Amino acid sequence: MDYKMISALLEKYWEGESTLEEEATLREFFSTPHNDLPEDLLEAAPLFGYFHVEAEKVWEAPPAKVVKLSPLRHWMKYAAVILVAVGIGYALKQHEQRQQQVLVAMQQEDMNDPQKALEQTKRALQLLAKNLHKGTAGMQKLSYFNEATAVVEGKED
Amino acid sequence: MSLDRFLTQVVPVRQKLYRFAFRLLGNEEDAQDITQDALMKVWGMQEKMAELQNMEAWCMRITRNLALDKLKSRKYRMSDELDRAGEMPATHQQSPHAVTEQNDVMEKVHVAINALPEKYRTILQLRDIDGHSYQEIADILDIDMNDVKVNLHRARKTVREKLQNLQVYGL
Repeated sequence: MDYKMISALLEKYWEGESTLEEEATLREFFSTPHNDLPEDLLEAAPLFGYFHVEAEKVWEAPPAKVVKLSPLRHWMKYAAVILVAVGIGYALKQHEQRQQQVLVAMQQEDMNDPQKALEQTKRALQLLAKNLHKGTAGMQKLSYFNEATAVVEGKED
Repeated sequence: MSLDRFLTQVVPVRQKLYRFAFRLLGNEEDAQDITQDALMKVWGMQEKMAELQNMEAWCMRITRNLALDKLKSRKYRMSDELDRAGEMPATHQQSPHAVTEQNDVMEKVHVAINALPEKYRTILQLRDIDGHSYQEIADILDIDMNDVKVNLHRARKTVREKLQNLQVYGL
């Protein structure tokens, strides 16, 4: 093997002036063990040996699966929207029912208290009486009218 | 970008991205995570892909940025030397003694390279292990091509001095 050529390449390598091909040649040269290498080549052997080993290393990234995404992949968000809507609806309904119950309860409360019940009844009866009174007033007028016609008719008779 | 283009142009680079991330982060799990994140990011920025000249370099740049962010955010500790003990290549033709000696030498080189600043180390690995051109490295790191040359020269010089100090010779 032409150690002189390798030495020259190595010199270029350390100076950062070697080309990719020249570096490949160096890696290739150092990938196999050599006997009685001159000092300058011996120095570079571990480094290029390392490069060679690293370059040959097989890297196994775990295989990537291509997953088809279904349109329902975000089903949770749809479910959440429905859940919230149902929740609000239910809450509103409950609220309404509760108000109704409160009204009924308040009325019942009134009925259970004798004093309040009496007042309520009185008020109701008074309302009735007032309306009845309006009725009787009308009837009275009607009876005057009847009497009047009777008098008129009597006179004519 | 269509799904086809992603599958034919980006997914095949995955192995490379994983290797790159692994070198930066030093362990499998994080390398996998970052590779995945990088692909997601590439997919998310698909409208940018039309104007790209070098898709691979772009993907690698994204991977590197994500990996460096991760290193920064966690005050990352590189995995112990012990964890890596099993990763040394097995060689069957040589005697156990020679293998041990060789592994020892390899380990020293590995340590010397890993002790380099991140930029030097990455440039050295991209050039001397992966065989990228100056222009490709410049694209990946988003720096000037002259910077690549200067940094590569310094990186090689530093490794050379380290190995000389450690007296690592021969194989």
